[in-house]
Amino acid sequence: MNEISVKLRVWRQASADAEGKLQDYKVENVVPDMSFLEMLDVLNEGLARRGEDVIAFDSDCREGICGCCSLTINGVPHGRGTGKTTCQLYMRDFADGETITVEPFRAKAFPVVKDLVVDRSAFDGIMAAGGYVSVNTGAAPDGNQIAIGKDIADKAFDAAACIGCGACVAACKNAAAFLFVGAKVTQLALLPQGHPERERRVIRMVDTMEEAGFGNCTNEAECEAVCPKEISTAHITKLNREYARALLKLS
Amino acid sequence: MGATGLSLIAFLIGHVSGNLLIFAGEHAFNAYGHALISNPMIYVAEAGLLLLFVSHFVTGIVLTKENRDARPIGYQRNDRAGGASRKSLASTTMILSGLVLLAFVPLHVNAFKFGAFYESAAEPGVRDLRRLVIETFSAPAYTAGYVIVLAIIGFHLWHGFGSAFESLGVGYSKALKRFGQALALIITVAFISIPLVIYLSEGAL
Repeated sequence: MNEISVKLRVWRQASADAEGKLQDYKVENVVPDMSFLEMLDVLNEGLARRGEDVIAFDSDCREGICGCCSLTINGVPHGRGTGKTTCQLYMRDFADGETITVEPFRAKAFPVVKDLVVDRSAFDGIMAAGGYVSVNTGAAPDGNQIAIGKDIADKAFDAAACIGCGACVAACKNAAAFLFVGAKVTQLALLPQGHPERERRVIRMVDTMEEAGFGNCTNEAECEAVCPKEISTAHITKLNREYARALLKLS
Repeated sequence: MGATGLSLIAFLIGHVSGNLLIFAGEHAFNAYGHALISNPMIYVAEAGLLLLFVSHFVTGIVLTKENRDARPIGYQRNDRAGGASRKSLASTTMILSGLVLLAFVPLHVNAFKFGAFYESAAEPGVRDLRRLVIETFSAPAYTAGYVIVLAIIGFHLWHGFGSAFESLGVGYSKALKRFGQALALIITVAFISIPLVIYLSEGAL
């Protein structure tokens, strides 16, 4: 297979408070079947050999399920293409000699830690505010004690597919987290286990989302377009409905 | 934004329907205007409309400020994601089209509601609003400006109608979006037809 070379423009930022800027790199001998992250590994090995500071970026499972990798590639979170995370992006999607811009996910609520690594603990804060169900401890409940219809289970699973990567926020022109919160709220609102806390949950999660500095949804669906799990904006409509329902019930 | 926006669209439909009566002749149009302003409920309706308009633009400005603050450092390169995205020129410029309308509405109310009072020759005591409309739109610069602003209203509704249904939790469908875009087009064309006919017929109508 013919190896290619690419020119990278990578966001370098020494620390959270430091000024950042795009820096140019050339990566030679790129095998097209390498993943994008493997290409960055190759670049970093070269930098390390020369004693330079390696480019910091997040990755963990490298099979599209952990939600760790978080790069904005050529202006699109997780790069162009549908239903994939950064780690599922391959170099065969790029042309020989192409210039590729690599930036972190951008949002006030996702501050840069270093280079391409951002702090997404604002999502953890939203989950802690309501993204759970309370259960009584004791003996394990009998299997199939609570019957859930297949159609409901399927819908809840569509929402549960969210891996919390934050690409929805990164792609939104308002840095809104409605798709993430919508997926979490929908998943638990559909299932009986989530019903006891249904109203409090949506109010608390939305309040926490706003306090964290995320923006507001203007229904442009850039989030759905970049979501590696292709979660639909129907979850945002459901979130709006759940929120209105909770306001009515609690008042 | 959704609730006030849809209410304002409902008002626009009523507004343009009334305007189109100008093609039905002098009596129909002036009688319609007279019926509106001689009804004591007009003050309640006007106050409600003002409240809708003010809450729509105040909320819009506040939310836009929040949205801008939510990303203090932008991207060096920012491409559209394509695919499922519904981002459009109309959707990204809602605040700009909205601000144009915010500037337009007071001028517009001043030009007609508080414009010259002509008494109808045929029906004493009735305002001849039709004459004012025809005189106003005989000026080319005013007519051109009006047509441009009305096109911007259509542009605002192009995204606004469908988006309102999503914000209100009703949902998104391609059919609803297309319906909203068709409605935006019809409202705009209906509004614009009046000054254009007046201008092109040199006031003969």
